[in-house]
Amino acid sequence: MFSTKIMMPMVEVKEETRDITFKIFRYNPQIDAQPFFDDFNIPVEKGITVLRALNYIKENIEPRLSYRAFCQAGICGSCAMKINGVTKLACTTQVWDELENCAEENVLLIEPVSNLHVLKDMVVDMDMVVDKIEKYFGWVSTKMPENQFGKKEFNIPEEEFKLYDAATDCILCASCISECTMTKANKDYITPAVLLKTYRMESDSRDSISDKRMDTLVEKNGVWDCTHCYRCMEYCVKHIPIMDSIHHLREKAIETRGKTDTAGAKHADAFVKDIQSKGRLVESLLPIRTNGLMWTVRNMLPMAFKLTKKGKTPPPPFLMKPIPGIKSLRDLLADLKNRNQTTHNGKGGSK
Amino acid sequence: MKTFDIVVVGGGGAGLYAAMEAMKTNPKLNIAVISKIYPNRSHTSAAQGGVNAALANTAKDDTVESHIFDTIKGSDYLADQDAAEVLCRDAPGIIRELENIGTPFSRLDDGTIAQRPFGGAAQPRCCYCADKTGHTILQSLYEQCLRKGVNFYNEFYILELSHDNGRLKGIIALDIKTGKIVPFNSRSVIFATGGYAKMYWNRSSNAAGCTGDGQAVAYRAGIPLKDMEFVQFHPTGLRKSGLLVTEGARGEGGYLFNKDGERFMSKYAPNKMELGPRDLVSRSIETEIREGRGYDSHAGKYVHLDLRHLGADLIKTRLPQIRELSMYFEGVDPIEEPIPIVPTAHYSMGGIDADNDGRTIMKGVYAAGECACISVHGANRLGGNSLLEILVFGKRAGHAAAMEAQENDPSPITESELQRQHKYIRGFHHHDKHERYGIIREELGKNLADNVGIFRTKALLETGYENVVELKKRFKKVRVFDTGDIYNTNLIQVLELQNMLDLSQTVAMGALLREESRGSHTREDFPVRDDENWHKHSMFEYCDDDICVSSKAVTMGKYELQERKY
Repeated sequence: MFSTKIMMPMVEVKEETRDITFKIFRYNPQIDAQPFFDDFNIPVEKGITVLRALNYIKENIEPRLSYRAFCQAGICGSCAMKINGVTKLACTTQVWDELENCAEENVLLIEPVSNLHVLKDMVVDMDMVVDKIEKYFGWVSTKMPENQFGKKEFNIPEEEFKLYDAATDCILCASCISECTMTKANKDYITPAVLLKTYRMESDSRDSISDKRMDTLVEKNGVWDCTHCYRCMEYCVKHIPIMDSIHHLREKAIETRGKTDTAGAKHADAFVKDIQSKGRLVESLLPIRTNGLMWTVRNMLPMAFKLTKKGKTPPPPFLMKPIPGIKSLRDLLADLKNRNQTTHNGKGGSK
Repeated sequence: MKTFDIVVVGGGGAGLYAAMEAMKTNPKLNIAVISKIYPNRSHTSAAQGGVNAALANTAKDDTVESHIFDTIKGSDYLADQDAAEVLCRDAPGIIRELENIGTPFSRLDDGTIAQRPFGGAAQPRCCYCADKTGHTILQSLYEQCLRKGVNFYNEFYILELSHDNGRLKGIIALDIKTGKIVPFNSRSVIFATGGYAKMYWNRSSNAAGCTGDGQAVAYRAGIPLKDMEFVQFHPTGLRKSGLLVTEGARGEGGYLFNKDGERFMSKYAPNKMELGPRDLVSRSIETEIREGRGYDSHAGKYVHLDLRHLGADLIKTRLPQIRELSMYFEGVDPIEEPIPIVPTAHYSMGGIDADNDGRTIMKGVYAAGECACISVHGANRLGGNSLLEILVFGKRAGHAAAMEAQENDPSPITESELQRQHKYIRGFHHHDKHERYGIIREELGKNLADNVGIFRTKALLETGYENVVELKKRFKKVRVFDTGDIYNTNLIQVLELQNMLDLSQTVAMGALLREESRGSHTREDFPVRDDENWHKHSMFEYCDDDICVSSKAVTMGKYELQERKY
């Protein structure tokens, strides 16, 4: 437990300062049996970012405190961490602005990003992200033979550039990974950042390995595992419409791989058909239609028994009548289908 | 111990291009890239504006010749003309190559790469990707290196260039994640560690890690540095952080005010006002501050960049990034308050002396990018030429190293060399050490900004140089308080400070000796360019912790010396 009242050297005397406690996650696996929190009490003037406050603590109170920071200007993506429970870049977050979000008055909670292995304090292992970029071919494999490089440009309309303009804003800070509910449940999941990167490659006309990439994407842990919680997009520090990219990848997967090929595609198809015919989901048949009869018997039977015991079994299909007003719903769906010329062109998307 | 064919130190644009090109030249080679951060974080990503190449897409009559001339004139005639020619001739091919492998560029209506005008250029030849050109180039290069299966050693910090009386053996590095000292035996080494302008610390727009590690390591191994005194200042940096407020703010009509409320540029550039050339505006702001007309604060003296008269609408639509930056880093909304600014160290022209293929005097050792001084920027770099330099010379160094690596047969790095490093690092923990890293670093930055800054005089530079020597003495007493092995950032910061101290001595020395004003180097006591005595490169060699200074002729070509006028 540290507590000091040293004046920050960068403080301007005229400017107002506030006493703020930084409650910081600490863990050094070489020494600590388990993580703990350290409190540092410092005066902070207006205009100081969380990163500068951490720098002050490191230089003046606790030199062993570790975190990553490089450009300190919001472009390199090193300093993502959880500030009052929400993943942000420490270098672009004003301490005073954060005071509104404190659970305890004037106490800022600082923790490492979630869903990545902690190496020390706020430093997490980023190799998992790089491994996934490699697994999902997160690069353009150009159509052009290597011996032709540098001779002439591809001709690319500005409209194509707009398709991946927002996606190339990504700085791999891992905020979306930290906030992703699916990654929390399954560490092998592709993660939103890598989905975004594959989307960026898939929308590039210079690329030549879409087949290979799509084959990997539709497998387990891939594009169909996302649960649509939209948190990646909500917490993206660069405001990239990541969910739009995931939707685009799914549409492409269905288009290129056919509706009957993958569990994800069949699942999506079952949803559409149910809504079309009944206006609601026939849940009891969903596992069979998605994963087949054998899989359902093997994997879902114990759960079915439990549901029956608790009286929560979904109604059998023959009891599910179409909802009232099904006709207007169908008209609406038909209208939607006609208008479905989505472009997913990133900037200014549905956020 | 396995021997690498090539070890690239640094994972920015130059390093990644070198690795990619080396693998293309000879896929059988065993190549490693070591970087103290993850390569996609490198400072290349901060370059917003763009990259010059005479593609003649926007201006059909643009030529390579015109680009060469602009570069040489911009350098105040200190660039080697053969190097500038290589830079500009290779430019169109390398931009097309980048485009061919998937770099997203903004496009013209006809689908070709878009180009825009940039300072000091006769034609619009700056290729760009919105305002994130460096970021997207870095991403593309990193992705291509992953595709090609380059061996990355991320978060490894270089400690030493290992050699036996000038015969290269490889490098010794610290694995930041584990604290282990690791030898990399190698037939060749390419330094691509970026610039050293962060030695000005709070008066620098650079990333915290732009500490000149490669230059310092090469220098201590006996490889000469060149033209270290040339550091470019950008007029508008934020007061607290030194971060850049781009020229767009003044382009849209922003005013500069001193504390008396005077629009002081009327005294220095009555016609162009705030839109005068970079060096002139920097000098004007500095003059105001020095003559007591700046605002004062604990974060340093400053003047105001006022955008309020432009109105909320214009600021929100045309300058959203500048507004964001001011709010993030100064807590100031330019719609309501003026932005506190001060000129900031932005780019280092000097570096490791290297030829047009990156070769240094030590066989098997190459340098490329801001880390090298080839020299294409001479006394002053043009906007859009820095990204170009890292690409062109990264590629050339990678190719040369791949062709020449087999000629070298390095002897192994010995256990005693590793032990010596281990002992050196452990020494920082000793209880008789008492100096604090942060204080020395702060004093170094302030000393350089005050005494080796925009305006230089003999008296100031002498003080500046003596202060550096004094700080180097105090550094010997610096303590690393974190004694752990895992991710010891306290140790890394101290090692970086050592590099900045060694290099700052050459910067101050070079500035003191060069008795003329040329490009970024302004001597108030020698206000004119002196071609007769000083049209030459400064060379710095490490001699037992002292500096041996010499000079080297500038390679001329068809362009005769002229006065630099815009």
